[in-house]
Amino acid sequence: MVKPGEKVKIKVKVNGVQYEGEVPPRKLLVHFLRDDLGLTGTKVGCDTTTCGACTVILNGKSVKSCTLLAVQADGGEILTIEGLGNGKLHRIQEAFSNNFALQCGFCTPGMIMQTYYLLKEKGSEISEEEIRDGLHGNICRCTGYQNIIKAVEEASKVRS
Amino acid sequence: MYPPEFGYFKPQSLEEALDFLEKEDARPLAGGQSLIPMLKLRIISTGYLVDLNPLSSLSFVKDEGSQVRVGALTRHAEITSNTMIKTEVPLLYEASRQVGDVQVRNVGTIGGSVSNADPAADYPSVLTALDAKIVTTSKGGSREINALNFFKGPFTTSLNEGELVKEIVFPKLNGYKTSYVKVVRRAGDYAMVSIAVALRLKEGKVEDVRLSYSGVSDTPYRAKEAEKVLMERELNEENIKKAAEVAASGANPPSDVRGSSWYRKEVMKVITVKTLGDMK
Ligand SMILES: Cc1cc2nc3c(=O)[nH]c(=O)nc-3n(C[C@H](O)[C@H](O)[C@H](O)COP(=O)(O)OP(=O)(O)OC[C@H]3O[C@@H](n4cnc5c(N)ncnc54)[C@H](O)[C@@H]3O)c2cc1C
Ligand code: FES
Ligand code: FES
Repeated sequence: MVKPGEKVKIKVKVNGVQYEGEVPPRKLLVHFLRDDLGLTGTKVGCDTTTCGACTVILNGKSVKSCTLLAVQADGGEILTIEGLGNGKLHRIQEAFSNNFALQCGFCTPGMIMQTYYLLKEKGSEISEEEIRDGLHGNICRCTGYQNIIKAVEEASKVRS
Repeated sequence: MYPPEFGYFKPQSLEEALDFLEKEDARPLAGGQSLIPMLKLRIISTGYLVDLNPLSSLSFVKDEGSQVRVGALTRHAEITSNTMIKTEVPLLYEASRQVGDVQVRNVGTIGGSVSNADPAADYPSVLTALDAKIVTTSKGGSREINALNFFKGPFTTSLNEGELVKEIVFPKLNGYKTSYVKVVRRAGDYAMVSIAVALRLKEGKVEDVRLSYSGVSDTPYRAKEAEKVLMERELNEENIKKAAEVAASGANPPSDVRGSSWYRKEVMKVITVKTLGDMK
């Protein structure tokens, strides 16, 4: 039990690296990633579970890290945009670049992590409708989505 | 945006969770997809959160012949991808895939949604259409509550302090057609109006029908008067229209960001006519 005002020790594996930290229970996962671990690729857009900019993969599932407590990730494995390409661009990042699927880029880490999850789940058979449904928790204020859909279609066809 | 300060308890068993909930100023945390936003917006506050997520005994789907049991901690996405639910309780399947978005469905749970009792949420109208039962547990024992008696008002249920939803029991409806139709203002939103229908026809006549709506009242709205209009009658345009009128006149929709009360009634009529018309 952790009393209000106290901190709790957590252990998480982020992008293959084991981290330990002390957090107050109210600390959100996104702040743990950004402020404590310095992984600022994950963005805070709306802070109200709407925009998807904070999407990361936790134990194989895409989640909005602004709506999850860091303590809930204790013992878990997280993948963020920084861990996707292993130093190079991942095929999804390549496809976003090839198709001009970003303008300001603020939504992009979340879009790419959600795309990563969708392609992991659905594979190369994914239809345009499934892409649109799968990405509707991610909001983009710039691109009008068309090029994002193209990028996801391209990425789905490239073999990793 | 930080929520107000609270403590955190990670129980090892359901008993530990119930003990703690009874003793302390505490709230259960399931998917957190309603709770954490409400804490962040400081609509609510609590001394402790009791994390139900370690309690894997609350996460299950069981086929029991004439009924299906779904554990409170079952995620929306697990309901959508369960092929048994898809064939045996298709109404639940249809609703589950329309909750929020993929990320919300990966985390949010059926027990959390039912306990939260948002009048615009998807499951409550499905539960009331199917006459599902909500099984609760607490230090004082277990209760089985009919869905129609469970929802008391907006964000208000008949759960007592320290009492948890444990599972939801869905009867299988054999020989019924079912349909869940949701009208939203934008993708991923709660329902402006939604309708859950279960219908059994015999020789062209309505043998049984259940009509239940989200978004049109303080609680899920089971339109029993409208059902009576259809019972034992032919499912034709005239009767359907009459039922839609009766359903709308018995509803009391709120006026809010998703639509005015008047508009919601109009939408109710339209989707009732369309949904029943498609089931002919
Ligand atoms: C962007 C967004 C869009 C959404 N869209 C929809 C939508 O279209 N339709 C819809 O229906 N919902 C929608 N939701 C809500 C979503 O379905 C939530 O998952 C659900 O309302 C709450 O479930 P949870 O498991 O996240 O519960 P939590 O948020 O953890 O808990 C909700 C409440 O229930 C209590 N509680 C949780 N579990 C139990 C239990 N077993 N027994 C007793 N009390 C319990 C908690 O203490 C809390 O008060 C949306 C949410 C978001 C963030
Ligand atoms: S910042 Fe998390 S969904 Fe917008
Ligand atoms: S590129 Fe600017 S929000 Fe998407």
